[in-house]
Amino acid sequence: MHILKSRPWNLPESSATPEALVFGRRQAMALGAGMLAAGPALAQQAGLPPAMRNTRYAPGRAITAEREVTTYNNFYEFGSHKTISAAAQRMPLRPWTVKVEGMVEAPREYGIEDLLSRMPLEERVYRLRCVEAWAMVVPWTGFPLSALLAEVKPLSSARYVVFQTATLPSVMPGLRQSWYPWPYTEGCTIAEAGNELSFMVVGAYGKLLLPQNGGPLRFHQPWKYGFKAGKSLVTIRLTDQRPVSFWEKIQAQEYGFWANVNPAVPHPRWSQAQERMLGTGESVPTQLFNGYGEFVADLYTGLQRERLWA
Amino acid sequence: MRLIGPVLLALAAGLYLGFGSDPLGALLFRLDPGLLNLLQAVTQRYLLPMLWDDVLLPVLEAPAWIAPAVLGGVLTLLGWMRARG
Repeated sequence: MHILKSRPWNLPESSATPEALVFGRRQAMALGAGMLAAGPALAQQAGLPPAMRNTRYAPGRAITAEREVTTYNNFYEFGSHKTISAAAQRMPLRPWTVKVEGMVEAPREYGIEDLLSRMPLEERVYRLRCVEAWAMVVPWTGFPLSALLAEVKPLSSARYVVFQTATLPSVMPGLRQSWYPWPYTEGCTIAEAGNELSFMVVGAYGKLLLPQNGGPLRFHQPWKYGFKAGKSLVTIRLTDQRPVSFWEKIQAQEYGFWANVNPAVPHPRWSQAQERMLGTGESVPTQLFNGYGEFVADLYTGLQRERLWA
Repeated sequence: MRLIGPVLLALAAGLYLGFGSDPLGALLFRLDPGLLNLLQAVTQRYLLPMLWDDVLLPVLEAPAWIAPAVLGGVLTLLGWMRARG
């Protein structure tokens, strides 16, 4: 006699997953595997148009792990500590507009999608040196600031470019400190802005720029200390007045207008001779102009009387 | 305690008369613009980020006279109770 004995792991026929769901899941997994295999396709899926790497700016160092760059951040509107990435996720990056205004022939307001489609995107692997003596190497995606300026046509009287970060009190706890001179403002000369290294960043590691890294649009001049790079920009203004930046208003003796990297000029409270690489913790010598002297040293001819290094 | 409480209450009155409802943070910023940035960095980087956002920042956002008034009031009350008991 054949006896059917139920085992604990036996399931009734009614518990079986329908065939359509099983095959749908397999198709979804196959699609996911295909996207992982094709980097550019994945980037396109994430909203960032594909961008070729510009090899002219080889950093001479290994790229920092993405996880380090996206979890160790300075963004004062979200706090003074390095783990602001979770809080920054509350910042909505769409819709997003940036005004380019002031001393230009054709002031404009761009939607971020408009910028992504209009501008000549490329990837550049730049070193970034923080004034706090740590450093990283990041594959940024973006476009030269000069390309944007060419569209708005600066007037000949424009001497400076000013960058302003968004002020979103509902998601930025730092703005509760009403005594600070918000919005976060930074600036550079029109000559520095026109330098080929000056880069408007919309992505990193082949993906759209994350909020904690200054998404959807930030600025980067790799020969200057990192605080000069305005994040989450909403206004770019051309002017004939030298701007007084956010940190300059608070602690001018520590954070000046020029802030070019120089290992021989210490910060008032620490040396700038070495930098700690994010991720590896390796300590390496800091280079003058963060190693970009061949591109930018000429900008400062005749400016020896300025405080160029802090 | 008997002395510190009334001194803090007098300080609170002086701050109220001198600065009205100006936040404590704004007052400290005027005295030393770099002080609060340093305090925040030490608190959030070496102690606990929430300690700044949820405890110290509300105190700094409040009118400058409130902190010494509350502290002075508590100390004065404790001193009075101690003297009675």
